[in-house]
Amino acid sequence: MLEIYNLDVNLSYRGSQIKALDNLSFNVYPGEILGLVGESGAGKSMTGLAIIGLIEAPLSISRGKIIFNKQRIEQNANAFRGSKISMIFQDPLVSLNPLRTIGEQLVETIRTHIKFGRKEAIEYAKSLLEEVGIEQERFDAYPHTFSGGMRQRVVIALALAPKPSLVIADEPTTALDVSVQAQILELLKKLCRERETSIILITHDMGVIAETTDRVAVLYSGTLAEIGKTFEVLNYPQHPYTKGLIEATPRIDANSLNSKLYQIPGVMPDLKEIPVGCPFHKRCPRYIKKCVEIKPPLLNERAACWLLDNEKGLL
Amino acid sequence: MKHPFLESDLYYNFKRTPIAVLSFFVFLIIVIMAIFADIIAPHTPFEPLTLNLLNGFTPPMQANEFTGTIFLMGTDDQGRDLFSTILFGLRISLFVGLMAVFLAMVIGVTLGLIAGFVGGVVDTVIMRFADIQITFPSILVAMLIYGVAKGLLPPDLRYEMSITVLIISIGLSEWVPFARTVRGSTLVEKEKEYVISARMLGLSYPQIMVRHILPNILSPVLVIATITFALAIITEATLSFLGVGVPTTKPSLGTLIRIGQDFLFSGEWWILLFPALTLLLLALSINLFGDWLRDMLNPKLK
Amino acid sequence: MSFLLVNQLSRIFDLSEPWILRKIKGQQKKLLKAVDKVNFSIERGQTYALVGESGSGKSTIAMMVAGLIKPSSGFITIDGYNFFSPTIENNIKSSLRKSVQMIFQSPYASLNPRWRVGEVLKEPIKAFNLIESENGQKQRVCELLEQVGLSERDINKFPHEFSGGQRQRICIARSLASEPKLIICDEPTSALDVSVQAQVLNLLKDLQKQFSLTYLFISHDLAVVSTMANRIGVLKQGILVEEASPNKLFEKPEHDYTKMLLSAAPDIKNVSKIP
Ligand SMILES: Nc1ncnc2c1ncn2[C@@H]1O[C@H](COP(=O)(O)OP(=O)(O)O)[C@@H](O)[C@H]1O
Ligand code: SF4
Ligand SMILES: [Mg+2]
Repeated sequence: MLEIYNLDVNLSYRGSQIKALDNLSFNVYPGEILGLVGESGAGKSMTGLAIIGLIEAPLSISRGKIIFNKQRIEQNANAFRGSKISMIFQDPLVSLNPLRTIGEQLVETIRTHIKFGRKEAIEYAKSLLEEVGIEQERFDAYPHTFSGGMRQRVVIALALAPKPSLVIADEPTTALDVSVQAQILELLKKLCRERETSIILITHDMGVIAETTDRVAVLYSGTLAEIGKTFEVLNYPQHPYTKGLIEATPRIDANSLNSKLYQIPGVMPDLKEIPVGCPFHKRCPRYIKKCVEIKPPLLNERAACWLLDNEKGLL
Repeated sequence: MKHPFLESDLYYNFKRTPIAVLSFFVFLIIVIMAIFADIIAPHTPFEPLTLNLLNGFTPPMQANEFTGTIFLMGTDDQGRDLFSTILFGLRISLFVGLMAVFLAMVIGVTLGLIAGFVGGVVDTVIMRFADIQITFPSILVAMLIYGVAKGLLPPDLRYEMSITVLIISIGLSEWVPFARTVRGSTLVEKEKEYVISARMLGLSYPQIMVRHILPNILSPVLVIATITFALAIITEATLSFLGVGVPTTKPSLGTLIRIGQDFLFSGEWWILLFPALTLLLLALSINLFGDWLRDMLNPKLK
Repeated sequence: MSFLLVNQLSRIFDLSEPWILRKIKGQQKKLLKAVDKVNFSIERGQTYALVGESGSGKSTIAMMVAGLIKPSSGFITIDGYNFFSPTIENNIKSSLRKSVQMIFQSPYASLNPRWRVGEVLKEPIKAFNLIESENGQKQRVCELLEQVGLSERDINKFPHEFSGGQRQRICIARSLASEPKLIICDEPTSALDVSVQAQVLNLLKDLQKQFSLTYLFISHDLAVVSTMANRIGVLKQGILVEEASPNKLFEKPEHDYTKMLLSAAPDIKNVSKIP
């Protein structure tokens, strides 16, 4: 449904071009939840913004194709933004106007995208609220009277109003409490199932990835490190970075107190300091000579790591 | 090794903003001319002995019909070289403006810091007082303070103290913007964890305010200071123009404009035009630079 | 007696509008019980974790233990001394200050952006008059940097030159500078990435062993807590609803709220098995 080929996004900094996303290719299939995971600064949000066409100076798409429903949209996503593709941000207040009731905002969004009369739009808005778990009586309430989790539900209703086929959710639950987070993720899963909407779920939380997504893409320094079915990636990671990330994630377990967490040495480099060769090689416990010189492509349609080149995956 | 400032984003952006560079250099040139007025000025306009009344009303760049002397910007009624009087006038204007801003800044920053950090009743009292003062135009406040001070001073001191009184009245009329901004920033900073950890060391309030909070709220203060500087210079000019400012024997730009105004309709336009242009150029260059600085230091615009 | 003892601790915040406005609008006083009769204790060298959702009163308890907010009722003793005891002498208060330090959530807001790392670390040394000589102070700063995995070369850098994890290390070094006995960690890794979080948690564990530190560890993340705590208290709206060892809490949670938290917490173990 969505195909991305060799996408490069550049950041112009003091007259020179720095690669912020490097040769990114992946697909999103109808009705799936694709997780996009990585450390802050890895390029997760930028990928989302590129798809929805919100890349602005000093950033620019310098190469690659984004194909949505067989049409190229990398230079002109306006026709789809907010209708066929919509976005949910971390802070629900970004998407809500504090001075207008949620009902007005929903009706307005509906009527800009769908040819509905006022009555019909109100009906539809109420059914949307119902669907995201907000009582219809709150139709005329202002955003500030809602809790954080409820606001995020309203934002989800807004995002769903034009019946999009792809929703990009950028850390939608990071600002919320775990109990609310669980509800919101459950809601996203349900919507995905019932409406056949695809969701790109951007998060830094491996636990959320494990419990919510069908497939997962791991980003590191603007590069796709690994992609695959969530179950396979988490149980049999092929890229040393994914492996490190999984082992560094604490688990709820009474016995973990006496052991130490695995730690990946060092930190992800700044965009300006990404090394040549494999971007991960300075932190990789298993790097070989080739890693320092040549950047590995995605091998076996799974991981960008030279170890997969020998035999069939060494991890 | 390069100085870190030359590597900073501020300097990088400065180099690439022609208006910022232009306004900064115009201002710099004006300041340098004022500082070195003694050397640059071709005449010493306030030494009565060097003046020749025959030189009066010489138009700019024309030889005087009696003495044959040529004056760059012409002369006034008493034969004083306008270019030189402007240089010396600038000096007084800049001095008054600078000292007034400094005073306003010290008062505003101190009160703002205390209001923001201590909070409660202290905050309410300070900020309500600021609210009341801001409802009067600052020129009115300055005139009021000026009038009261003049009335209180013994007559023989009045004359000598007039510049000091002027500085104090402008300073006292401009502290509110400083206090408001500083209070706002202080409210934000004092909740930050680095302040809490300073409190955990048992440091006193003044120590925390001065050593921790103050350095972090200076950027907006700097912006307000530049804008207030232009404002103070204009206020001084206005007061002097109204005749309540600096004495005519030591004219500032405002005094010169007032003098020039008398001759506008008799055809000696230059006596008004050149001081007025100088004031305009000065205020404009400071304001343009201040605007750029504000855009640069405002995190919301980034 | 326990090293840290928290007894019937309560804190009420007055959220009402100023008196005059209240009278005009005819409103009652609005009071919020942020912490309500909380009891717990920590033995020396152990880690006690407080978990709960936002607004449950975790940070308020932390601030009271740190002596920065006065309890409305109840008391806290650290090594037998109470910050807010009316009879406390100044030198005891000062040594109490020295022995309780805190690490915060935000690696950005917890360091003064205008201070060099060296100055940041020297401040507690100077404030408590620990080392007189300029040279000795510098040596101590280098030692602290080393203990948290940074290097002597970092001494003249500003906070913005470091990554989030490194800044958190600087904060840890600052909290160690006064040779404290108790460190309050308020969500110390919530703002960090997983790989960096692991580094910081491991560092905290190492330091605890090395200096026999006692931790009051505050977090909303049960998985993080499970790697750190000897005992766990669950807070809900200011009330401590359950307290247990990790074993007990994760295997047989008693309170419904604890059960809800456990099931809601995303856990990497729970990857859906449908391949
Ligand atoms: N200074 C204060 N004034 C008023 N209310 C406060 C203050 N500090 C905290 N609160 C309130 O107390 C409750 C507990 O807050 P807090 O201890 O910060 O919770 P947590 O750290 O668990 O998120 C919250 O409802 C919060 O809004
Ligand atoms: S390519 Fe080399 S350096 Fe990169 S992850 Fe694989 S083994 Fe490590
Ligand atoms: Mg908190």
